[in-house]
Amino acid sequence: MVFSGSTVALRSGRWDHGTVRPSSVLAWVLTVGAVCLGVFGFVLGALAGSDGSSWLEDVLGFSAVFASVAVGLLIAIRHEGHPIGWLLLVNGLVIALSGLAAGYAWYAVIAEPGALPGAGLAVRWDQAAWPMLFAPITAIVFLFPDGRLPSPRWRWVGYFALAAFAGVTAISLLDPDVYDPPFRGRVSAPEFLPAWVRADLMLPFLFAMLVSLVAAAAAIVTRFRRSTGIERLQLKWLAYAVSLIPAALLVGLLEAALTGNVDVAGGLSLAIALTAIPIAIGIAVLRYRLYEIDRIINRTLVYGVLTLLLAAAYAAGTLVLGTALGSGSAWATAGATLMVAVAFRPLRERVQDVVDRRFSRARYERLRRIDAFLEALRAGRAAPEGVEEVLREVLSDPDLEVHFWLPESEIYVDARGQPVPDAPGDARLRTPVERAGSPLGMVVHESVDDESPELLSEVVEAAGLAIEIARLRVELRRQLDEVEASRARIVSAGYEERRRIERDLHDGAQQRLVSIGLELRHVQHELGPVANGAGQALDVVVDELGRAIGDLRELARGVRPTQLDQGLLPALRELAVRAPVPVEVSATPDRLPDDVEAAAYFIASEGLTNAIKHARASKVRLEAQRGDGTLVVQVSDDGVGGARGSQGSGLPGLEDRVAAHAGTLELRSEPGQGTTLKAVLPCG
Amino acid sequence: VRVVIAEDQTLLREGLARLFADGGHEVVASLSDAERLVPTVAAKDPDLCVVDVRMPPTFTDEGARAAMQIKERFQDVGVLVLSQHIETTHAVKLVSFAGFGYLLKDRVLQVDDFLAAAERVAAGGSALDPQVVTTLLASDAGQGPLAALSQREREVLELMAEGLTNAGIAKHLFLSERTVEAHVRQVLMKLEVPETADSNRRVLAVLTQLNASQAKY
Repeated sequence: MVFSGSTVALRSGRWDHGTVRPSSVLAWVLTVGAVCLGVFGFVLGALAGSDGSSWLEDVLGFSAVFASVAVGLLIAIRHEGHPIGWLLLVNGLVIALSGLAAGYAWYAVIAEPGALPGAGLAVRWDQAAWPMLFAPITAIVFLFPDGRLPSPRWRWVGYFALAAFAGVTAISLLDPDVYDPPFRGRVSAPEFLPAWVRADLMLPFLFAMLVSLVAAAAAIVTRFRRSTGIERLQLKWLAYAVSLIPAALLVGLLEAALTGNVDVAGGLSLAIALTAIPIAIGIAVLRYRLYEIDRIINRTLVYGVLTLLLAAAYAAGTLVLGTALGSGSAWATAGATLMVAVAFRPLRERVQDVVDRRFSRARYERLRRIDAFLEALRAGRAAPEGVEEVLREVLSDPDLEVHFWLPESEIYVDARGQPVPDAPGDARLRTPVERAGSPLGMVVHESVDDESPELLSEVVEAAGLAIEIARLRVELRRQLDEVEASRARIVSAGYEERRRIERDLHDGAQQRLVSIGLELRHVQHELGPVANGAGQALDVVVDELGRAIGDLRELARGVRPTQLDQGLLPALRELAVRAPVPVEVSATPDRLPDDVEAAAYFIASEGLTNAIKHARASKVRLEAQRGDGTLVVQVSDDGVGGARGSQGSGLPGLEDRVAAHAGTLELRSEPGQGTTLKAVLPCG
Repeated sequence: VRVVIAEDQTLLREGLARLFADGGHEVVASLSDAERLVPTVAAKDPDLCVVDVRMPPTFTDEGARAAMQIKERFQDVGVLVLSQHIETTHAVKLVSFAGFGYLLKDRVLQVDDFLAAAERVAAGGSALDPQVVTTLLASDAGQGPLAALSQREREVLELMAEGLTNAGIAKHLFLSERTVEAHVRQVLMKLEVPETADSNRRVLAVLTQLNASQAKY
C-alpha cells in the first residue's frame, strides 16, 4: 500500500484479507473481458485481411486497451471506491469493443459475407459508436485526481456533459448517417428515429459535447491553478503524459518529412504516449513515487532539447561541410558526426544546468529525501520521531521543531511529550500541519529561503504521514504515563485507606469494647461479692469481650501494621517475630516515603507467607536495603523451591503492586534450591 | 496510690478512673491529651501515671514520648503505658526504666492482674504485657539459649519478664516460693544473667538478653 494515509485510502472500503470482494471479481471480469474482446477483434481483423485495420492501428489499440485495463484493475482493487479505476476499465472495454466491432464487420461483411450472425449490428457499432470512445476519458479528466469534481458546483457541468454524450451516442446509434465505404451500400442502415431528430437535434448535441470537452479541459486547468503539494504533483503527471501526444505527433511529422512514412517512429511514439496516459493516471491516483515526475520532466526536457540541438547541429554541419567539400561527400557526413559527438558532453551539461535552474532540482532532492525516510519508516528502519531531524536537514534549519497537537488536552507537545509553551518572543514562523482536514501539529522554523516559498508546504505535506504517526506515538506515550501515574495514585490511596481502617479499628471499635468491658467490671464491683451468680456471668461476658478485642487487633494488624508508623525496620522485625519459623531481618533503618515503605512491607509479608505456606521453609531471610536510588526487597528461604508465578502464590498481585511503583519483580525458584523473591522499588 | 490518667477517649478515661477508684486508689487528675501531662505530674506529684500511647494531635506515639519525659524528670513516679496493639521494640525500650509498665489496653478487663501490675509499677517494679513477652520468647524459636530451658523454667521466665516478683510467680504457678527461687536461679544461670536480689534489674537483664538474641538477626 502506498501513501496509506491519503483521503483515497480513507474512503476505500475495509476488508479482511482472504475474502474475495465482489468488486474485485467485477474488476477482473472487466479486465479479462476487454482483453478477450480485443484479441478476438484482432484475430477477426487478421482473418479478414482488411486494409481497414493497419498494423499501426492494432498497436495503438492494444497499447490503449492493455494500459487502460491494467491500471484500472490496479486502482479498482486497491481503492474500490475510487471512480477513476472503474472509468479506466470501462475505457479499455469500450476501445476493445470498438476494435472488435471493426474486425467483426470486416470479416462478416467484406471477407466472408454471411458467415457470421449480427453483421449489421457490428457495422452499426463500428460506424456509429464513436462518441463512446471519448466519454470515459472526459469523465476521468473531470474527476482527476481525487475522484471528485473540482467543487460541488461542477456537478451541473457534469450533468450537462453526461446529457450531451448520451444524446450524441443515442442519436448516432439509433439513427446513423450513411455508412463510410466499404460498408456504404453493402449494409442497409435501418433508422429508428424520425428524420427531424438527426436533422435538428444532432448538431446542438454535438455542440454540447464539444462544450463538455472544453469544460473538462477548463476543470483540469482550474484544478492545476489552485493545486499545491501532492495534488499538483498528480496533475503534473497527467499533464506530462498528455503532452507526449503532441510530441509524438511532432515526431510523426518529422518522420513524414524525412522518410515519407509515419508508421514507424511516429506510430510507436503515439503508442507510447497513449500507453503513458493511463500509467500516469495510475501513478497519480495511487500516489506511487509521485515526486519522480520532476525528475522525469527534467530528463525529458534535457534530452528532448539536446536531441533537437544536436539534430540541428548535424543538419547545419552537413550543409556547411557539404557546400565546402561537395554535396554527398562522405567526409561531410563524417565531419558532421564528429562535431555532434564532440559537442554532446559539454552541450548536455549546459542544457542540464539550464533545465535544473528552471525546474528546481534541489526541490526534487528534498522531496526524495523525505520519500526515502517514509520508505525507511514503512520498512521499520526509522522511527517516526526522526521526522524532525529529516525536516531540519531538508530545510537546512538546525533549530526547526515539530510540535504535535493533542486534541484531548488541547496543547502542543514536543517529541518527548513535554508541553511546549507558546513563547510570544519566539519570532519564528509556524506552519500548521494537517491531514484529512484535522490538525496534526505545527512546524516551527526560520523563514524559508525565497528560492521557493511553496517548498515548505510541499515538504511538510510530504512528511505528513510520519508526523501523524509520531503524533499518535507521543499521544499514546502520554496516555500511558497518565495511566501509570493514576495506578500509582490508586495504590497509594489504598495504603492510605488501610491506615485509616487500622486507625478506626484501634481507636474506634477496640476502645469502645474496652470501655464497655470497664463498665461491666464496674457493675460487677457495684454488685459486690454477694451476687455470685451474676458476677460469674459477667466474668464470662468480659472474657468473651477480651477475645473479641484480640481478634480485632489481629484484624487491624493484617490491614496495616502500626509499626509501619515507626519505619520499615520495626515493621519487618514485628513480622519476623510473629512468624512460626526463624526469620532473619536485615533492613535499612532509614525512613523512606510512606508508600515505598508500605509496598516493601507488603511484599515482604506476602513473600514470607508464601515461604511458610508453600515452600515449607525452615528458615527465611528478609532484606530491605537501599541501592542506587532504589529499595531492594528480598525474601529468600531454604524451602522446596520450584515456585511458579501463578497458582495462588499471590505473585500477580505483587507484580501489580511493584509495577505501580515502577519497580521490577524477580522470582528465582529452582526445585530444591529454595526460593528468592526480589523486588526493586525506585525511591527517589 | 495516687493516680494520674491520660487518655483521650472520654468513656475509657472515665472507666479507668472508676476502676482505680473501685480498687481503692485515688485518681488525682485525668487528662485527655499528652501535652498537659508533665505539668500535671509536677503539680500533683502522683505515684503512678497511666498513659495511652496514641493521643491527639497526631495519634502516633505522643503518649510514649510523654512517658519518657516523665521518667527522665520524675524518677520515682511510676509510668504505665497502655497500647492498642503489641509492639516489641517500643515496649522493651520503655521497660528498661525502673517503675515502668507496658500493657495492652484490654488488660484492664482482668481487673485484679491489672491493678496488681499498676501497684507494682507505682512501687518501682515493672510490668510487661504477657503477649509481648510471649512474642519475644517465641522469636527465639528454639535456637538461642532458651532451648536449654525446661517447660516449667520457661513459664517462670515468662512471669519474670512480665515483672512479677518471686512471690507473685509462686502464687501464679501454685508453687512454693522456694521452688520458684530454685527455678529462677536455673533460668538465670542458663541465660548467663548475673544473679541479683533486685527484681527489676533482674527483668531488665532477662529482656536485654532476649533482645540481644533477637537483634542478632
